[in-house]
Amino acid sequence: MRDAILIIGGGIAGINCALNAARYGTKVYLVDDTASIGGMMARLDKTFPTNDCSICIEAPQMYDTDNQENIEILTHTEVRKVKAKNGGFDIRLVKRPKYVDEEKCTGCGACVEACPVSIPDEMDGKIGGKRKLISMAFPQAVPNMVSLDPACRSGEMQDAGACIGGCAVDCSQCRECPIALCVKACEKEGKNAVTLWQSAKNVKLEVKSIVVATGIDAARPAGDLLGYDLYDNVITGMQFERLMNAGGPTAGEIIRPSDGRHARRIAWVQCAGRGLAPGKGVPYCSKICCMIATKQVIITKEHDAAVETTVFYNDLKAYGKNFWGFYQKAVDAGVRYIRGRPYEVQENPETRNLVVRYENLETGKIETHEVDLLVLSTGIVPNERNAKLAKVLGIELDHLGYFKEKDPLTAPLETSVPGIYLCGGATGPIDIAESVVQACAAGMKAVLRP
Amino acid sequence: MNVPEVVEYARGLDHVTLADEGRWSCSVDYLSRMQALIREHRINRVVIASCTPRTHEGLFKRNIQQAGMNPYLLEFVSIREQVSWVHMREPEAATQKAKDLVRMGVAKAVLLEEGEEIRLPVKQDCLVIGAGAAGLSAALNVAGQGFQAIVLEKSDRLGGMLNTLSLVRHDSHHADAAQWVQSLAARVYETPGIRVITGAEIETIEGYIGNYTIGLKGGNGSPGERLHVSTIVVATGMREISPEGAFKHGENPRVMTQLELEKRIRSSKKFQPPEDREETNDLRSSGFHPEVKNVVFIQCVGSKNDTRGCCSIGCHAAVKNALALKALDPDIQIHILYRDLSMVKEEGEMLKEAKHLGIRFSRFPDDRYPEPVENLDGTLVVKTMDILIGKELQLPADLLVLTVAFQGDDTVEQLKGLLKVSANPDGFFQESHVKLAPLEFPADGVALAGCAKSPMMLKESIEAGIGAAMRVSIPMKRGYIEAEGIVADIDLTDCNQCGLCHKRCPYSAISVDADKNPRVIKALCKGCGLCAADCPRECITIVHFTDDQVLAQVDAALLEAPEKKIIGFVCHWCALGGVDMAGVSRLQYPVHARLIRVMCSARVSMKMMLRAFEKGAAGVLVAGCEFPTCHYISGNYAAESRVRRMKKKLARSGYDPERLINVWCSAADGPKFAKTMKDMVKQFNLDNAS
Repeated sequence: MRDAILIIGGGIAGINCALNAARYGTKVYLVDDTASIGGMMARLDKTFPTNDCSICIEAPQMYDTDNQENIEILTHTEVRKVKAKNGGFDIRLVKRPKYVDEEKCTGCGACVEACPVSIPDEMDGKIGGKRKLISMAFPQAVPNMVSLDPACRSGEMQDAGACIGGCAVDCSQCRECPIALCVKACEKEGKNAVTLWQSAKNVKLEVKSIVVATGIDAARPAGDLLGYDLYDNVITGMQFERLMNAGGPTAGEIIRPSDGRHARRIAWVQCAGRGLAPGKGVPYCSKICCMIATKQVIITKEHDAAVETTVFYNDLKAYGKNFWGFYQKAVDAGVRYIRGRPYEVQENPETRNLVVRYENLETGKIETHEVDLLVLSTGIVPNERNAKLAKVLGIELDHLGYFKEKDPLTAPLETSVPGIYLCGGATGPIDIAESVVQACAAGMKAVLRP
Repeated sequence: MNVPEVVEYARGLDHVTLADEGRWSCSVDYLSRMQALIREHRINRVVIASCTPRTHEGLFKRNIQQAGMNPYLLEFVSIREQVSWVHMREPEAATQKAKDLVRMGVAKAVLLEEGEEIRLPVKQDCLVIGAGAAGLSAALNVAGQGFQAIVLEKSDRLGGMLNTLSLVRHDSHHADAAQWVQSLAARVYETPGIRVITGAEIETIEGYIGNYTIGLKGGNGSPGERLHVSTIVVATGMREISPEGAFKHGENPRVMTQLELEKRIRSSKKFQPPEDREETNDLRSSGFHPEVKNVVFIQCVGSKNDTRGCCSIGCHAAVKNALALKALDPDIQIHILYRDLSMVKEEGEMLKEAKHLGIRFSRFPDDRYPEPVENLDGTLVVKTMDILIGKELQLPADLLVLTVAFQGDDTVEQLKGLLKVSANPDGFFQESHVKLAPLEFPADGVALAGCAKSPMMLKESIEAGIGAAMRVSIPMKRGYIEAEGIVADIDLTDCNQCGLCHKRCPYSAISVDADKNPRVIKALCKGCGLCAADCPRECITIVHFTDDQVLAQVDAALLEAPEKKIIGFVCHWCALGGVDMAGVSRLQYPVHARLIRVMCSARVSMKMMLRAFEKGAAGVLVAGCEFPTCHYISGNYAAESRVRRMKKKLARSGYDPERLINVWCSAADGPKFAKTMKDMVKQFNLDNAS
């Protein structure tokens, strides 16, 4: 359908772009290469500066997206080929198998219960987050269904205790399975939705325009950054967000990875890794980290006002409406903001507490500060799959790895290819509200293309 | 809790034809089973006892609709968030509470009436108020669809603040601000479907989406002209606050604000046509004082204090203008005195460039701003404490530039009344939702773009303008808006034409005809219920939340052991969100509450509160959104004042006014709700009541 548009990325930007375009009356294909739409926002606990519960405000939009008749959601799907044709684009997508039938799965979780293997969750691993080899991305996932880890299906997890593996033939050859516990559990529920023999599917589309909404990622700290790889109680800001999230691995308990005890003294290091050698840290200001940390200290204080909280920072980015008041709220709650630059962290092997050495930028002195838990605000990086996608789309990235706008000053959100537009984290570090604004604008541009 | 026992209990209630237990009631399997059961048993009211209406009401409404029922004949009882997750250690009491909640749901369900979505036609014409970058971008995009756009500008020239600026920058991209915005204005003049009115002010705004009439004063239209449009984009921009004599502004001509500096830079020869340009001495020929050698910028003037936040754009503006001055005269010495430097992502490159060119940056303490001291010759010395080197500096300043905070346009005060929207004390309009509805107002068909919301960069203003065009274009393209069936309904039989409902409706959804009779414009009504609760003659009811329905819930809740029970009226958007959060967070609190959902705390009438006391409730809770947030703009304020009045009335009627509790709770604040419950139980001594 030439009148349709393709949106790549199902985070809050992609969702809003899709809802606007669909309500306008345009057919939308919303593609996400993970198992659910929702993106980064679905992992957050709260949003600044109102401390709205993130999933509470995002989930209704996710449900709306799912129910909008003009929107077709394609998860686990990659864009492989894009060819400009007749003023629009011919698209080839590949839908990677979830090894679960989308039509049949109801997300009941019987297979998850049956799965014998838990492995550390990719994002929450350090704070004890675990997932089964068959699992749902998160409780509110859309589509509300599970997917199977491809590593399990290929037999690689057998040593870890997985039931699958060691067969003479590949799963793709079978149409039933006598050994996989997830398959059996699903059969028992009467659904037969787990299908290990599922294969990748090619999907072809014709669209008039494309919106790139691939989002941002939290930077992973270089291994030796302030003891991250050495000490259990040094975690990232995103891990802390999961730690305080009632839906996260600790059910909202702010506890230390080393011993599961409640952290009584916590410090945040802003700009962690910034200004270090290439590859060691994010070289630019990521804009949103100050407010993320401020949100986290406020929530921490709300959980327990007696927790001692300290934020080490350089320049406070209270760049938006009511953000300064939000910072004041943290200060009033007793949070210490220290202009300082931590450069070394040492663990006390007995207590597992951390001693932070830092330069106090106001006094010029070297000082130390002991905490139970240290949080590194490592900054924001572009989606790691941007480069590959840029090549497929025939558009450029800027030197930081975000998609390049042709003329950001006077024709924002347009790329060097007419008909391909950008919104949200694809353009750079950005907050939710700004993403939504761009999503509306990119949607307008996309639907207006003849 | 014991679910089978609750199912069995439900089965025995009056009017209940069928009670069924589903393991995953939202699964496709169970939904189709539900449809089959509805058809098979010819069921005409459905009560769902499961999670929370905030997430799943829509799903179940659609489902019963697919089974041939009117979707408004559904009542949702939340036994997961309100019972099983929050009373995990008291299974028996929890089961009892679940039974009560189901009984309340059934009591309401039998009284439910069919509702319908209401459509209102919307034509394809839009008024854009303000002709800066945001407004012009919005107008071009509206007209680009073949719709009509009217651009209304109070000054006699399109372009807004950009007309007064020199360069605008983003990364390595530069543009002459005025030239660029004038080319945009030229496109607006050329575009068919756009009408431009300049020099005009708005006197009146009447009507609603699809049907706005705007009365004008002055301008190039015909005198007393009235405009008729379906939608409105508000893009009224911003202005600098006055430094009010601080830092010798207004006293010493060498002290100027950032915008005053922009004007000077703009008037320098560099910005004149090439044929008029002189080769050298650019800076001094441009209206600057002849001996400008040293320039000092002071950041955050009027910002980041108790009344105002970060101005958002001042750091960028200062660095950009410092670079512009350097371009005019490379020998000029510039110091930028700041508190926090806010230069993000690619702006870091600009900062590097500035430092490379020798522009100095010096941080002063938050509580000790730099101080200009005047020399006899009128030049200045700025005394400042540099906290990074720990020294007091004395900087000569031939020019002192103040980066002052911004405020909304001076028309905002009037416009917010006419549009019935809110603005903060600085005159920036309040968007509908900070995160997910940044481009709109609560009133349908009115969008918000650019610096009228808060200070922003040109790029963001253009994006907001185009995005706002999208928001108003959706109803214009569809040709209608659709309102939910939860709306006010007026029975004129007892109406004494007091006009209170018309005056108090936050959405102007109640009009008054020539005979002073009120009428609800249903497509505009959001169903908050403020009018119904306030109506002195009880003429107004809210479909789906009628007095009878709510009172039936109160009665059902207090059927047994009322002295141990707390009746809680909670608003759907925030307080119930808090209740749900308490559930998701597994916060354990006492079982005494029986909650009744209303869309807004403003719906809770004195009659409802009184009924709970009359039936012997231990206490009553009215819970709504935390100030200043309210899904219905100001319903919580109305509720608060009503509760105050109710307390007096309770005292007069012989009840203890201390047993009426009022709490404001955000959707994220589960702990606050849980604590409220604990506090009330303690205060009323309910744990010990036998």
